[in-house]
Amino acid sequence: MNNQSLVISDSKQEIPTPQGYRLFSIGEHAHLLIEKQAVIRNTWLLIALFCACVVTLGSGTMPISPTEVIAVLFGHGDAMSQFIVQDLRLPRLLAGLFTGAAFSLAGCLMQTIARNRLATPGIIGIDNAAMAFAVSSIVGTGISLAPSAMALAGAATATALAFGLAGGSGTRGYRFIVAGIGIGAIAGAVTQLLLSQVSIDVANSAYPWTVGSLSAREPLMVNLLGAGLVICLVACLFFSTQFALMPFSDQVITGLGANIKHIRIIALTLCITLTGLAVAVAGPVGLVALVGPEIARVLAKYRGIPLVSSALTGALVMILADLFGRTVLSPIELPVGIVTAVVGGPYLIWILVRRSSRNSL
Amino acid sequence: MTVTSLHNDKISHPTFQSRLGASKLTLKHGKVCIIENLDVSLPEGKVTAIVGPNGCGKSTLLNGLSRVHAPSSGVVLLDGKDIHCLPSKEVARRLALLPQDTLAPDGITIEELIRFGRHPHQSLLKQWAMDDQQAIDYALDAADLQGLKDRLLDTLSGGQRQRAWIAMSIAQETPLLLLDEPTSALDLGHQIEVFELIRNLSRQGKTLAMVVHDLPSACRYSDHIIAMKKGEIITQGSPKEVMTKELVRELYGVECDLIPDPMTGSPILINMKRVRS
Ligand SMILES: Nc1ncnc2c1ncn2[C@@H]1O[C@H](COP(=O)(O)OP(=O)(O)OP(=O)(O)O)[C@@H](O)[C@H]1O
Ligand SMILES: [Mg+2]
Repeated sequence: MNNQSLVISDSKQEIPTPQGYRLFSIGEHAHLLIEKQAVIRNTWLLIALFCACVVTLGSGTMPISPTEVIAVLFGHGDAMSQFIVQDLRLPRLLAGLFTGAAFSLAGCLMQTIARNRLATPGIIGIDNAAMAFAVSSIVGTGISLAPSAMALAGAATATALAFGLAGGSGTRGYRFIVAGIGIGAIAGAVTQLLLSQVSIDVANSAYPWTVGSLSAREPLMVNLLGAGLVICLVACLFFSTQFALMPFSDQVITGLGANIKHIRIIALTLCITLTGLAVAVAGPVGLVALVGPEIARVLAKYRGIPLVSSALTGALVMILADLFGRTVLSPIELPVGIVTAVVGGPYLIWILVRRSSRNSL
Repeated sequence: MTVTSLHNDKISHPTFQSRLGASKLTLKHGKVCIIENLDVSLPEGKVTAIVGPNGCGKSTLLNGLSRVHAPSSGVVLLDGKDIHCLPSKEVARRLALLPQDTLAPDGITIEELIRFGRHPHQSLLKQWAMDDQQAIDYALDAADLQGLKDRLLDTLSGGQRQRAWIAMSIAQETPLLLLDEPTSALDLGHQIEVFELIRNLSRQGKTLAMVVHDLPSACRYSDHIIAMKKGEIITQGSPKEVMTKELVRELYGVECDLIPDPMTGSPILINMKRVRS
């Protein structure tokens, strides 16, 4: 008995782990290396996200106290608050959480493979193209293809075009970005053109959607997005060690036995899926893809590729922006896309003019 | 008479065992042919030094041999198989490349950089094992970095950073190691240390190739020299056979005299004068 416990503690001591990491051994063959900082960071983000959710669910024309909201969430609370929280506010909150996480995760992935902090799906025109396709399916062509599918097709088309025109992403991704900006501009113009061809009522109803809003979401598309998000997050964890190699030069990545083409294809596929599905829910709220990963990187002290943290910060930014847009000028509602643009625009300029920025731009 | 024809017999008949080589290899940058129809192989268990003027294609050759640069025609053979048909991770367990230009992720420490060298030995379910730590410790010692291992890479001097990259390729624990100018930024002491390390690794049975610009070091620390000019191998063989004043003139346009080092016998260049040919 004594002997056995000795052996176990010995074998545990045997493998020294790198500083700041913990080794989780499951049985003989599974040894997972977990970064302590990342776990702590993501736990705090989850707590912050939960608090933001409670506040969001409680605020509106009928304020509900945080304790009451929590009671409802755990299946208690009176019928009235249950109705308001679960049926009226929760769907919008979920739409915000999912779209924020999806945009931000897509942004982090795109920045990683393009090796450029400016290369988010919104900047390189994927958002706009997805929107143009989706709008065309609703108002333009009369073909009633599901907007989700059309948005995905638009996202894929824009990405393929950007890559085709740029001839790969290049080392710093500038060609890719420039090509993408052009595609985004064309797609935006197409959307305007489509909207100008339809009756003023249709165009009006489509308007909040083209600037990015959580008020027009379709339950089916929110569910689709939720499922897509879960799958993409799992895939990100699965491929995280390969994504972590992307900041190295192509020579080093290949030398270490990873396949750059595969990594790019995987990341782009995830990116297109996330962006397409999210645009189908909320329209182009692309600046979240810029702001979310940046906050995550600051929290991670610029170490590694904070994929999970990006998803969490993106969700947080999105629901806070939506909360702000709903409450600040209440009863007038500002579309969340406008709020993020007002916050994200100056931020973008700040990144561009900040001279002390490291070599990663 | 050119050096090429002087040594022609040595080019066509390599008489050694080899794990890594290429036949009829053509490497292009875009449409420009850098290396054409080249046959080359690295003697097994030996140190090969590749010398030649700037831009002659040394790095391109190493990239081609390490499957980083795909050939336009011809084939690179690793243990008798086409390197591009082997699983990349499998290749990375046999062959490591230290590139000339390096670019690392932001904010990582030396030890973290070296840990990336273990990537080919790890998998989703085996993210860390005893041999990973041992390999990293060995590499840290070998590159004299134990005292610096927790420093951020960005905050190091050029030579310290170069040693960190050498350590990373050592941690990969491959039987074949291709090093592109491993000592270009190192002070005299660390240069010698890295060369001795390379010697030691070859004594352990590893096959090494290094691009070196310093001819005396190339002669002293290698068993085999490949001299390149304009994408072609103009001569190869043991340092004693290959290193002549004609070769130095042919490669670099420099007149010189060669005298043997009184202690080791390996050649030293004196009386150097640039002549334009
Ligand atoms: N990415 C590239 N695109 C186009 N041409 C290139 C590229 N890289 C290298 N070359 C060209 O290929 C030729 C060989 O380059 P290579 O880097 O192999 O030279 P090298 O022998 O390693 O020189 P050095 O001693 O300066 O390192 C050079 O003429 C160079 O201009
Ligand atoms: Mg070179």
